[in-house]
Amino acid sequence: MENRSAKPQSLSRRGFLKVLGGAGLAGVAATITGCSTDQAGGKGWMPQQYQVASSWPVQVRGRVPIDPANPSITRDDKKCILCGQCIEACERVQTVMGYYELPIKDDIVCVNCGQCTLWCPTGAITEVDHTERVFKALADPNLHVVVQTAPATRVALGEEFGMPAGSVVEGKQVAALKALGFDAVFDTNFTADLTIMEEGSELVARVTGELKKPLPQFTSCSPGWVKFCEYYYPDLLEHMSSAKSPQQMMGAIVKSYYAKQKGIDPQKIFSVSIMPCTAKKYECQRPEMNSAGKMIGKPEIMDVDAVITTRELANMIKQKGIDFTQLSDEQYDSMLGEGTGAAVIFGTTGGVMEAAVRSAYFLITKQNPPDALLSLTPVRGLNGVKEASLEIPGVGPVKVAVCSGLSNARKILDQVRADLKAGNPPSYHFIEFMSCPGGCIGGGGQPRTSLPPSDSVRQARLDSLYTMDAKMYKKRLSHENQEVLDIYKNFFEHPMSHLAEELLHTVYTDRGKHLTAKNKA
Amino acid sequence: MAKGVLVDLTKCIGCGSCTVACKLWNDMKFQDNEPTMGPVEIAKLSANNWTVVQYYEIAKDDGKVWRFAKKQCLHCQDPACASACFAKALQKTEAGPVIYYPHLCVGCRYCMIACPFNIPKYEWDKTFPLVSKCQMCSTKVEKGEAPACVSVCPAGVFQYGEREELLKNAKSIIAQNSSYVQEVYGEKQAGGTSWLYISDVPFEQLGFRTDIGTIPLSTYSHNFLKYTPVVAVSWGIILTGLYHYTKRRNTIAKEDKNVKL
Repeated sequence: MENRSAKPQSLSRRGFLKVLGGAGLAGVAATITGCSTDQAGGKGWMPQQYQVASSWPVQVRGRVPIDPANPSITRDDKKCILCGQCIEACERVQTVMGYYELPIKDDIVCVNCGQCTLWCPTGAITEVDHTERVFKALADPNLHVVVQTAPATRVALGEEFGMPAGSVVEGKQVAALKALGFDAVFDTNFTADLTIMEEGSELVARVTGELKKPLPQFTSCSPGWVKFCEYYYPDLLEHMSSAKSPQQMMGAIVKSYYAKQKGIDPQKIFSVSIMPCTAKKYECQRPEMNSAGKMIGKPEIMDVDAVITTRELANMIKQKGIDFTQLSDEQYDSMLGEGTGAAVIFGTTGGVMEAAVRSAYFLITKQNPPDALLSLTPVRGLNGVKEASLEIPGVGPVKVAVCSGLSNARKILDQVRADLKAGNPPSYHFIEFMSCPGGCIGGGGQPRTSLPPSDSVRQARLDSLYTMDAKMYKKRLSHENQEVLDIYKNFFEHPMSHLAEELLHTVYTDRGKHLTAKNKA
Repeated sequence: MAKGVLVDLTKCIGCGSCTVACKLWNDMKFQDNEPTMGPVEIAKLSANNWTVVQYYEIAKDDGKVWRFAKKQCLHCQDPACASACFAKALQKTEAGPVIYYPHLCVGCRYCMIACPFNIPKYEWDKTFPLVSKCQMCSTKVEKGEAPACVSVCPAGVFQYGEREELLKNAKSIIAQNSSYVQEVYGEKQAGGTSWLYISDVPFEQLGFRTDIGTIPLSTYSHNFLKYTPVVAVSWGIILTGLYHYTKRRNTIAKEDKNVKL
């Protein structure tokens, strides 16, 4: 036998590569299959508060239910961390979730106010996006795209571009909308003034007994509040003013009066509104909000086609690369663009009340209100419930209340219920309800300038609106708005006329049968 | 003692917190084509979805009501999947959960055939697929915590504790309230499950199988499978005997050939 070990083995290049490649493949296979002997699952993460003994459950947990068909808000599960902040907003601030008995009936109760979108720390809950729709309409040469802007967006939009809270950007906002390509830029302030004429006349008619509807009268411009009343206090819907909200009035007018004056086919008009609000997205698709279309026998045409929140508008401006802070001020278009100081304060809690009182005084006495009524301090500020009593010649003391945030609404509503039950005369003549704390300036569609929403930001926006009313606007009374006077002269004749009833007033739905209300107060 | 969960379906508001908690704790992907919430046609258990919340609209009291049903592994007391698994990849633990060890699994998928509730799913989309199902967060359960889905519910749907206690609670709840279906789902189904359900609408209308008997499925197969070791060992002995017998015969035959006269 020869000694083979003395001979070194020769290894070809191919052989070497084969060995190395094989080892690599084996390594890859071993890596993929792994050598772990752990059981499946449990490799992830849960927020700290949930990692406790089962006998000590955490207080703030879970999240609010959101119907997949909700027209206002939507949620991205990928971003949800179950922090429970949406429930804090829904249950503690708005008293919606947790205020119905279980089992539920046939509805996921939501008033569409969108406060949860302001509280959600990860941005999992957002408004339902309408920007695609609007961009598409803007790109369509056959459509006449009209836009209206709510009072409260002009004191918040700047915050999305790094400006201090409450910066007044009315003119810049108009400029941005024109740069985006809207054919006409109107002001919801105009229909806020119109709302005051209609709602103020209705109040006077209730007080004088001309209208057989009970006192107190409730304001009806906050769609979140309206739905809340329909759910939890349907027995009090008689008290709700039949006047539509300014957004829906503008929608109805644009596709009737404006279309007629301009000679445009209402079907070719695409009507957009810029709102501080997510409930407006729900309101614009309420089945009865098709007055203009119904008048011309086309009930499928909705008065308002798309609602964009302040945040969405900011996104649109950013997408188009417009440097908002560098824009020069521009003016609203005429016919539906004039607004007064009374209208601009619609954007804050107490503002509708103050504006209504100014014009109601005029409607009753045929004289403009004294200066004291132009600064109605008791109804101003962020307090949840405010009350005032005013002397109006010929009527005597008119008692009013103002509340914002639906938890505060319950206090007043329970009082109204108690008065009715006991057969007492009503405690108030007129009550203003705003769904969101602070009114529209703190609406669910406003910029998330502080998280959760803070009163300091609300206060800054609120102060700006009162400054605009006192110092920037020439007129401070709704009944002096020239374009409003024109529309009555040319179209409606007078407040609460037959045509006004058809286009500017609405009806409400009893939603009490969709839930079993539970009063925890 | 074995833990369990009592689910009161009348309290579910359909928020889906439980489905998110499951994904977070088990590090599972959200797939757009596999929603965890919605009507039964689209919200289905899968390899990625260990729990789903299904929406049902049900005729009740001259009207329609909405009900939500959370689905996940029921963690049988005598699980058919574990009894079908010859690799011991599925095991019933003392604490109650039926858990899965990927390193033991050979991928035969007998468990999927065996499960009467159609729970175990297969990772069809993976190169090295495994079986996949809810583990009842057994690592949390071992630490004295509740499963992730249970701990996040804001509506008080779940009670977590000893199964026997929960069964007593469930029975007293339905006894005191006639609007409930007078049955606890999971008490006896397939020999009893760790997850128990009570509801005010019939279980079959919420997608629960009600045609499962009360005898654990493993009992049926055990009646003949119990002979497997005996048969295997006996065959071994018989075949070994035959081998040696024939070998010996051959040797003798060879020797006979080689005999020189």
